Amino acid sequence: MDTPVIDFHSHAGSWGRYGVDADCDLYLKVMDAAGVDRTCINCIWFGDARRGNDLVMEYVRRAPDRFIGVAFATPHYPEEAVKELERAVHQLGMAYVKIYPDYFGRPNDDPAYFPIYEWVDEQEMAVMCHATYPFDPPGTTIQGRFTALSDRFPNMRWVMAHTAGTLDADAAETARVLPNVYMETCSSRTALGATEFNVERAGEDKVLYGSDMALMDARQQIAKVVTADISRRAKEKILGLNAIRLLRLDGPAKGGVA
Amino acid sequence: MTPSVDLDFRPEVPALDANAALGRRHDRRVAVDDAAGLLAEMDRAGVERALVYAPHAAAFDSAEGNAGLLEAIGDESRLMPQFVCNPTFDDLDETAAQIEAADVRAVRMVPTLHHYPFRSWVVGEWLEWLSARGIPLWLPASYETNWHDGADLDPHAVHETVRQFPDLTVVLCEVHYVQASWAPPLLRSLSNLSIEVSRYVIADGIAQLLGIVGPGRVLYGSRFPEQAIAPQLYHLHRLGLNETDLRAVCGGNLARLLRM
Repeated sequence: MDTPVIDFHSHAGSWGRYGVDADCDLYLKVMDAAGVDRTCINCIWFGDARRGNDLVMEYVRRAPDRFIGVAFATPHYPEEAVKELERAVHQLGMAYVKIYPDYFGRPNDDPAYFPIYEWVDEQEMAVMCHATYPFDPPGTTIQGRFTALSDRFPNMRWVMAHTAGTLDADAAETARVLPNVYMETCSSRTALGATEFNVERAGEDKVLYGSDMALMDARQQIAKVVTADISRRAKEKILGLNAIRLLRLDGPAKGGVA
Repeated sequence: MTPSVDLDFRPEVPALDANAALGRRHDRRVAVDDAAGLLAEMDRAGVERALVYAPHAAAFDSAEGNAGLLEAIGDESRLMPQFVCNPTFDDLDETAAQIEAADVRAVRMVPTLHHYPFRSWVVGEWLEWLSARGIPLWLPASYETNWHDGADLDPHAVHETVRQFPDLTVVLCEVHYVQASWAPPLLRSLSNLSIEVSRYVIADGIAQLLGIVGPGRVLYGSRFPEQAIAPQLYHLHRLGLNETDLRAVCGGNLARLLRM
């Protein structure tokens, strides 16, 4: 394959409960074996977002041609969130923003996130988060959620983590109808036919490869795309070309890329 | 320079799937539920043969489900039947006769779903018979359905029970990353325990398992039709194994356990 391979979803930091090791050498070894050129990496495991973002930068500084830093922000500390994003993006050069509402106890369309979104919208950057949550109000739909968010923050782009690893018609339809919403592939379940389902429904331009390293192995996660029954061009787009376009890696970057 | 992704991947060694299901489920419609569909997917992935069990045998009635499995397989030699047994419900003599009549080479027990402790005072007589016959036992680390929470297998019970039957081969299957804290030490402590890796996706986790137990006790499986057949096979081909070890993990170990 001649086109670049970019892993859109990975985490820095250890998680002993699941045997997840933060070792940078392990990352590079797995990336090499998987054929991944660059990995977008975030750290969501510290209440202090600054500390997590600094840990991400240890990876980026160790291998700047292999890692793309991703900024974390938490509304648990609203007085720090935007300030930290300013630092992470404009000083450290991080490429997009990761939020993790599961740790906040409220979904990603909760108004507590709006100050973060207002800032991201101004930067015309992307945010990645889950599309649904265990604490969603009854009747919540993904399309309703992201339509409202897109209307309110029209310059942002959204990546719905894990959705392209599932057979969720609501998620696929959301990505199809909303030009600024994308799907990402990682999932521990490797649902049969998920890549084909989402490419057919959302379109090959709207799906991004992600691994969830180091919780999941990039070699196993990339295989869902590599072995899918879709065209070669679709695979090239999912494995890297869509990420390049989304993050503007081939042109002037908003916020810059480390 | 990173190696290229192989968009034209085909297995380089004979691949045998150690964990597939065949037949309809009661709680949802699966994408492929018949032998023709399974064989088509195996062909697309380059898998030669698969060990298959019936979801109905796990969920409700082992005898009925196992009989349905044989019917679904018919004369297709690429599909090898695995009977589900429930030692708290099934009759050992009757089941043994059915296993021998159908030349079944592997058995699966699902203690988490069937609500019994995996202790010798429940399963001892069955394990004794399996051990004497050289029939390996598959044990899922959990079994999820729409109506069952997928509780973890009790690793202490497995440890205490399996060690009493050193001639019995037990294959721990469907181990997810949530069980990654106890599966490696359990494998290290029981030399007659192997692992099937359809759900073992933690980064570099399979390489670590190989480091602990060696290539002779790690088995490729897909968990079809819940999961696709090819991805874990591709993953195994990217571990940097030599051909002998790759052959063992992708199919040789299963062939040995099933006396093929």
